[in-house]
Amino acid sequence: MINWTNFVSQVFNGVVLGALLALISSGLTIIYGTLGILNLAHGAMFMLGGYAGWVAYSYTGSFVVAVIAGSLFVMLVGVAMERIIIRHFYSRPHEDQLLVTFGLGIVFVETVRFFFGSLSKTVFAPPALVGITPLGFMFYPTYRLALLGIVALALIALYLVLYRTRIGMIVRAGIEDSVMVDSLGIDVYKIFMLVFGIGAMAAGFAGIVNAPVVSIAPDVGEAVLVQTFVVVVIGGVGSFHGAVLGGFIAGEIISITSMFNPGYSYVMLFVAMTLVLVLRPYGLLGTAGRE
Amino acid sequence: MSRQRPVLIEILTAIGLFAAPFILPHLGFSPTTMSRIVVWGLFGIGFDILFGFTGLLSFGQSAFYGTCGIVAAYLLTIVGFPYVVTSVIIGMIAAVLVGYLVGLIALRRTGIYFAMITVAIAEVFYFVEFNPLSDYTGGENGLPGVPTPTLPLGLITIHFNTDWSLYAFFAFWYFIGIVIALRIVRSPVGAVLSAIRDNPLRAAAVGHDIHSYKLTAFVIAAAFAGFAGGLLGVLQGFMPPEAFTFDTSGQLVMQTAIGGTGTLFGPLVGAMVWLYLSDFFQNTLHLGATWKLVLGVVFVLLVCFLRRGLIGGIKDLYEIAGRSRSAEIAPEQVALAANLSAASTQSRALGKTHSIAAPAPMPTHRRETDKFSGPILDAIGLTKRYDGLVANSDINFTVKGGELRGIIGPNGAGKTTFFRMLTCEVPPTSGKIIFEGRDITGMSVTDVCQLGLTKSYQVNQLFTRLTVRENLTISALAERRGKFRLDLLRRLSKIPGLTEQVEHTLDLVNLTDRADIPVSALAYGEKRRLEIGLALASSPSLLLLDEPLAGMSLGERIETVKLLKSIARSRTMVVIDHDMDSLFELAERITVLQEGRVLVEGTPEQIKGNVAVQEAYLGGVVAA
Amino acid sequence: MSLLEVNGLNTYYADSHILFDVALTVERNEVVALLGRNGAGKSTTLKSLMGAVTPRAGSIMFDGVEIAGKKSHDIALAGMQLVHEDRRIFGSLNVEENLILAGLTAPNRWPLERIYAMFPRLKERRLSRGTHLSGGEQQVLAIARALVREPKILLLDEPFEGLAPIIVRDLLTTCRGLAEAGQTILVVEQNISAAMTLADRVYILNNGHIVESLTAQAARDQPEVVRRHLGV
Repeated sequence: MINWTNFVSQVFNGVVLGALLALISSGLTIIYGTLGILNLAHGAMFMLGGYAGWVAYSYTGSFVVAVIAGSLFVMLVGVAMERIIIRHFYSRPHEDQLLVTFGLGIVFVETVRFFFGSLSKTVFAPPALVGITPLGFMFYPTYRLALLGIVALALIALYLVLYRTRIGMIVRAGIEDSVMVDSLGIDVYKIFMLVFGIGAMAAGFAGIVNAPVVSIAPDVGEAVLVQTFVVVVIGGVGSFHGAVLGGFIAGEIISITSMFNPGYSYVMLFVAMTLVLVLRPYGLLGTAGRE
Repeated sequence: MSRQRPVLIEILTAIGLFAAPFILPHLGFSPTTMSRIVVWGLFGIGFDILFGFTGLLSFGQSAFYGTCGIVAAYLLTIVGFPYVVTSVIIGMIAAVLVGYLVGLIALRRTGIYFAMITVAIAEVFYFVEFNPLSDYTGGENGLPGVPTPTLPLGLITIHFNTDWSLYAFFAFWYFIGIVIALRIVRSPVGAVLSAIRDNPLRAAAVGHDIHSYKLTAFVIAAAFAGFAGGLLGVLQGFMPPEAFTFDTSGQLVMQTAIGGTGTLFGPLVGAMVWLYLSDFFQNTLHLGATWKLVLGVVFVLLVCFLRRGLIGGIKDLYEIAGRSRSAEIAPEQVALAANLSAASTQSRALGKTHSIAAPAPMPTHRRETDKFSGPILDAIGLTKRYDGLVANSDINFTVKGGELRGIIGPNGAGKTTFFRMLTCEVPPTSGKIIFEGRDITGMSVTDVCQLGLTKSYQVNQLFTRLTVRENLTISALAERRGKFRLDLLRRLSKIPGLTEQVEHTLDLVNLTDRADIPVSALAYGEKRRLEIGLALASSPSLLLLDEPLAGMSLGERIETVKLLKSIARSRTMVVIDHDMDSLFELAERITVLQEGRVLVEGTPEQIKGNVAVQEAYLGGVVAA
Repeated sequence: MSLLEVNGLNTYYADSHILFDVALTVERNEVVALLGRNGAGKSTTLKSLMGAVTPRAGSIMFDGVEIAGKKSHDIALAGMQLVHEDRRIFGSLNVEENLILAGLTAPNRWPLERIYAMFPRLKERRLSRGTHLSGGEQQVLAIARALVREPKILLLDEPFEGLAPIIVRDLLTTCRGLAEAGQTILVVEQNISAAMTLADRVYILNNGHIVESLTAQAARDQPEVVRRHLGV
């Protein structure tokens, strides 16, 4: 018999996890859509956000500062990565692009391990959000509720930037046809740099706000990377809406199956991904043409 | 070109493996490390075939490494099966089966999607091993107690239970692996894999079933990974769960890239560097985990600046030092070239001569429709609609055997789309295509080419990393062997009729004395001739030529028209071009397309004098 | 000083030699047509001017500044705009967004009202996404998008191709109006009569070589010249 409270709790977890995955995957997908680069260091960006936030937290004791610091630091790392290295790979074969982002991801992880060691570190939630909230039919950790709210706000903010601002318009046009954007007098390399920064920042932000839930360690990014890929394959590469939809689907799959057996959650994710590949090869909301 | 004896690499490898225990310990390598290097090297051979030769970057090899290892270890420990090598082989078969199934899923996509899927696969296998199947796999503890192998030889039994004897055991299997890999790489399958890496579109268009070949490469990689995984269990005495991790796949990728992809030995060199440095950093410098950071930085630098890895870098140094370029081609090119050159020397020695002026006899081939007597091509009501736009509308187009037909039309006439429908690159919205009496509507480009209909492209679609001869060989291989054959261990020189086909085509397009030059060194006109040659080498009965004169100077055009006339003698040809003068001299009949429809058909004289055609080109809409 | 002065332009696609020493000039306020069969290199010429392809040799002087080899966005900022033959409007953006985006970095951008006054059809469809426009509407949008930037020179690549006659008629009227208002235009066309009604001067391109340069009147007086190079 299913324990219904447990089930609802897991569904809720699925929503929280889904929102997180949606945010991280949006970052990956807009980078891929605009630049054509699959960032294998994306999981490392998530990890870096957690660590940068932790460092800021150690100095200031403020969670808000930690979140801001974590996000900004990763954005700068993303911008630097694009400017210094990625830019030279646009005309190189896809495999080389994969190799270089993969290598950079390793470098980031090992650098963190060098400075901070391999053991995980705890990041404390702000005191106001510690504890449990009664939700009528069950109790739920307060911080997770807050996390859902925070991530949802971030997703909405990202959506508004993409769909309601000039810069977002440029990015969306760039995803479609970056050469034409350049012809209209907009330096498309600057756009690429910005998109990489924003995409990385999404992952970094997720990394620090999620830190109180799972602690930080050099290897946290690896699982995130894999889940992000599955989300993007399911949702459709280059599609923000696809990343959101895929994120929530993946979040629920992971949470609900982990009720029965944690190992199976990955299998179920893989099954879902395979189904999408067979039935809708370009993802649920993706479009043909981007390979 | 140097003719390295094919056996040279195998001999050098054997010598190297044999001599290593006498040299490397002085450099600080322990026998266990050397065993490890060899096992990683073996793991990487298959990966190099998949990535270096076929161009498929997979981050999921750990899945097969671990699977075989677990199956073998399970048999040896829990089941108590006493034969080590047999267990490893059984494990390898398991890995192959798994590889086949996974390949069916992963290879539905290419490039980035493929890489993403392989990453996911690695993680899935790890988690499955860790949890649901932990009763079988030992979960996070792995499977302990894997025995060392023994070899009963009648009177005596060899126990491989010392460090050095184990090294010998592993080195032996590495040697076997290299021998097999070299055979595969030198086989027709190996040639097709290289073609797929270089230009998958063209490989399919000349008649190869590239999906099946990719799946083959994937399964080969799984087999090597599996066998190495089994050996890992023997090496360590237990089967660790780390074998399944994404890290392991990543390490393999990095080692191969560091050593040099596409060389088969890259993974071995990379493993040497990796394990040596990790030893050095940890035990000598006492810097603990920093070695991986250093290696990561080295890897990134190599990808940026020394893309062909250490082996590639050494080769470049040799070239700079002044040795002739031809001597330093990568083993696979050496192998391929050596086989081909040896065979062609044979045929030249037989004293064959060809000239462009003489009508070229078509090599016989096994097509059933040779006896067909109707029009060779009959397109009926061919229409192509893209969303709202109609590119071709109700085109009826018939070509008789032996004709040389030209197609012209102003911009927007739909000529390119029409050709693409004929070769089945795009499916028509409605209509039928009958080729030699057979309905080919909806078939694949590959199948249509196998039936005898193929095209040469407006923009060169060559195999740019190969030589002229190798390019034509790829095309001829599809004609000789059909769209897929698993002749992994066959030598190229043993394929009947291959050399003749290639030499014949070289002759037809007048590239015989440029045969062993790499494509990158050819002049533009020569590349265009090779482009036509690629289509010719598949022995088409109907050859379509898409703007063969594009981008040519006046002199080149004259030469090419002569060439086209000579190859037209024994086949049917349809040519699209904008160069009116050349086309009118070449073609017997001309079809004029306008706005997606056939406007008129006739001889060049008739077309020149036709008012409607003049209007189509000069008129258009008269302004108000 | 001519507004645009091209000399010795040689452009390749990989190692396919497309343009052979192309030379042409365009004065301010004039309309020049570049005629030729397809495959002649007309599109390549415009793309070389706009930086979409990089010429291997040659000089392009635009308003006194050498622009050969520069990036497209710099050339756009210098005042050149190209309307591609496949239009390339942003399908995921609506009409208004396409227009706004075009004007973002233009120093003298046209206000939307001015564009809508010239192209009322666009105003009707201003919130329609690019993918929902018809071929003719897309062409109009592509031209409007270029005009937003008030370019010193407008390059048009086969603007009348694939359009219904009535739309071509409207478009011609619009272009004539622009020309009369002083817009400098370099138009590439296969449709001879449409090009001739607009142009003051004509160049003929054949297999990548400029083979004729004459006034439009001269071309009308000697139709066999045109026919020789463009006819069948």
